[in-house]
Amino acid sequence: MADAGARHWSAYREFWRLNFLTLMEYKVNFFIWLAFTIVYHGVALGAIWIMMSRFPSMNGWHWQQVFFLYALYMLGHTLNNTFFFTIGEVPDLVREGRFDRLLVRPLDPLFQVLSQPGQIWPDELVIALIVFILAQGAVHLQWSSSTVVLLVLATLGGAYIDFAIQLIIATLSFWVVRLDALRWVVMSLENDFTRYPLSIYNRAVRIMLAYVFPFAFMNYFPATVLLHKSAEVGYTFNPQLGWLTPVVGAVWFAAAYSFWRLGLNKYQGTGS
Amino acid sequence: MAAAINMIIQASHLTKQFKSVRRKEGVLGTLATLFSHDYEFKDAVTDVSFDLEPGELVGYIGPNGAGKSTTIKMLTGILVPTSGHCTVNGIVPWQDRQANGRGIGVVFGQRTQLYWDLPLVESFRLLKAIYGVSQASYDRHLKKFSELLGLDEFMRTPVRQLSLGQRMRGDFAAAMMHEPAVVFLDEPTIGLDVVAKEAIRNFIASVNKERGTTFILTTHDLNDVEKLCARIILIDHGRKLYDGSIDAIKKRYGPNRLLTADFLTDAAGVDIRMPGVAVLERDGQRIRLEFERERVRADELIVALSRQADLKDVTIAEPELETIIRQIYERGLDRSGPAPQ
Repeated sequence: MADAGARHWSAYREFWRLNFLTLMEYKVNFFIWLAFTIVYHGVALGAIWIMMSRFPSMNGWHWQQVFFLYALYMLGHTLNNTFFFTIGEVPDLVREGRFDRLLVRPLDPLFQVLSQPGQIWPDELVIALIVFILAQGAVHLQWSSSTVVLLVLATLGGAYIDFAIQLIIATLSFWVVRLDALRWVVMSLENDFTRYPLSIYNRAVRIMLAYVFPFAFMNYFPATVLLHKSAEVGYTFNPQLGWLTPVVGAVWFAAAYSFWRLGLNKYQGTGS
Repeated sequence: MAAAINMIIQASHLTKQFKSVRRKEGVLGTLATLFSHDYEFKDAVTDVSFDLEPGELVGYIGPNGAGKSTTIKMLTGILVPTSGHCTVNGIVPWQDRQANGRGIGVVFGQRTQLYWDLPLVESFRLLKAIYGVSQASYDRHLKKFSELLGLDEFMRTPVRQLSLGQRMRGDFAAAMMHEPAVVFLDEPTIGLDVVAKEAIRNFIASVNKERGTTFILTTHDLNDVEKLCARIILIDHGRKLYDGSIDAIKKRYGPNRLLTADFLTDAAGVDIRMPGVAVLERDGQRIRLEFERERVRADELIVALSRQADLKDVTIAEPELETIIRQIYERGLDRSGPAPQ
């Protein structure tokens, strides 16, 4: 067992080394991606700013606080993108028969999916940290040890919520060969609905974002704790829900991982 | 447990049935498929059993869709059989995939395991980490493989720039990096030129001889099989048709040899009436005969021919494995040759 652990660890280090070499091999492509990432988040923040300049506040949230909401989402989301991004390749791996290779190697298949060398680099995570530093200044976040603990838990838990949803979608490709559409639908739902306070949405959307695709635990609930917000207009909830993000992340990941194991057993390959 | 039975691969009654929803045509049909419970079953492999001793080099052959790849996928742990059982290195492959993975090597001729964007050597380094190969063994293997496969000249070249032959040689080295006891080769020489095929065959033969590595080779190229394997397993429609030596299948199902005789004069008047001999073709000064190897002695036939006209040249050819196997596929095993003794 110790041996298996050592092999996983050294393979993972090798994976990051290969990522770096790939990045050097395709520098231009990397800088285009980097520029795109900056523009993408810049546009999203610009849209929030335009929206918020029309209204002084949104259900009691000022533009600085909505900016903070986005920054908090970015932390969990980009942490997921840095370490778990290649889960989105599972449908291609299955369709092209490359998944077979992962089953004949002495490593966990999910681990191997997540350590497929590519152009992965924590650049987006760095951008998220910069945005967050600006955002916490804008809302004059009061730092204490519990703030730090909550932020770390929300970021880790948030990444796992994000990953769990992607893992479930990826697992479906063991039954339905082509499902990239679903992935994009869920990703844009996530992007669009996490930008504003949950309380502005109607009940159905709130239930969906809290319990079905629990993206609200990535930023909204932790933000209400950090910004000392309690009962919002037309929406009541326990103000301590923000501490539950890691629990929600763990539960969703556990469910998603069981589903993944089930899918692995059903795997039939692409043909004879 | 493994000591009692010395077989490195044991497959007994392996059966794989694929279940899929019966598809309908058109847009509406496709929509209906989503809600359909109308399944169709396809028997890919049915009741296949065989044992392999350590160090054997076996050709596993059959036409397209015969179930070769499905069998390989069960033996490598990729697929779980519908019924039946197998062990490889004493492990049930699909039950303990990680333990199984350490003892086997797999080459899929159509799919590389090399990392496309970076120099070949980087893929080897990744595999070294994955299999926990020590630095000393890694250096030794790399030196050995470079000699046998000539990897040195393209070790630092990105895999995407390699020719198919170079890439395949790289894939072979990659599959052997952890010294597996059993190696599965699925169409390893497909699309390769003669030189690359020869390099790969020599490599397989040498690893088999020196390390005693067991190989299962599935291929369409029967030249690979004839050059490398003493034993073949033949399957068609998912069932095992034949399991034995190439010599035996030739004796049993290819009992006839071919004789071509060139005369100094026209061969039109030549007529051979011997039991077990048939004239296939006359062409000017040439005549082609088929004769049963068990009944007719070649020297007697040549003497008989030389009595009729002046002989210039004679060649005798063994039946080709490909011809024999094609006959078995077309006519079935029983009608292709004499009944087993």
